[in-house]
Amino acid sequence: MSVLKVGVLSCSGEECLGGTISRLATRKVLEELKFIDTVTLCLPLYLAGGEEERNFAKVFPTISVDGCDKLCAKRSTEKFSGKISGSIDVSKIIGNENALNTKIVRNKDLKDEHRQMIDQVTDEIVKMIGSISPDAYSGKSFHGCGCGSE
Amino acid sequence: MDKKVKVVPCSGIGKVFGLMAREAVLKTVIELCPDKSETVCLAYIVTGDKEVKEKIEGYDCITVDGCPKMCAAKNVTLTGGVVVEEIKVLDTVKEHKGKKFGSPTQLSADGEAVISEIAEKIARKINEIN
Repeated sequence: MSVLKVGVLSCSGEECLGGTISRLATRKVLEELKFIDTVTLCLPLYLAGGEEERNFAKVFPTISVDGCDKLCAKRSTEKFSGKISGSIDVSKIIGNENALNTKIVRNKDLKDEHRQMIDQVTDEIVKMIGSISPDAYSGKSFHGCGCGSE
Repeated sequence: MDKKVKVVPCSGIGKVFGLMAREAVLKTVIELCPDKSETVCLAYIVTGDKEVKEKIEGYDCITVDGCPKMCAAKNVTLTGGVVVEEIKVLDTVKEHKGKKFGSPTQLSADGEAVISEIAEKIARKINEIN
């Protein structure tokens, strides 16, 4: 039997705080969300991986989480994998100035204000997951990210 | 012409080794070699946009990967970057058997110590190039 899951795909951008927030909010959803199973994929596997990785968005209703308005996760998913069910632009939630901060990017430099930003983005992801139609599930299976996670 | 070495981690999201790659690179470009190196978002590289190709194509790049899929090395190569060093987090991790490095969300003290080692390796290579 297939387990119904929602895909959450983060840009994890390394150049600015928005990427860090997108990554940590996505991790928080994966670790803490209880009412529905979630799964993720390392974005660069669209090119470095195989067909299974490129089928990700065809198998799961997928939400992209991008740190800035370049929307790399959204655009790459739509280019290489399939239509997404929702898209979050972190810069719209925490503001462009915060998202494009290049000084505070490392986890260890995050302060309470940044943790609040992660919570805000997490809330938006959860809201978006809640709005996905049950018809979006494909019923196909996926055996986990190529990096070895589930 | 921008001669900064591009240092690109995989930032894999499923295992601690992806976070270790990311944090080691950020330590290098922000703290150890800010004048000689910079990072470029791997997700941006995946898009294949003209602007990011221009940032990478023909430039010296160091990639840091957390798993054998080698996403950073493959994507930088596909975009035309000159990969002068492929660093594998697992090579350093193997030298620290029995230690717990943390989670994909947060590094432990041992994880922080190992990423410092990896960052030193990256910095040595950058200093050889520049």
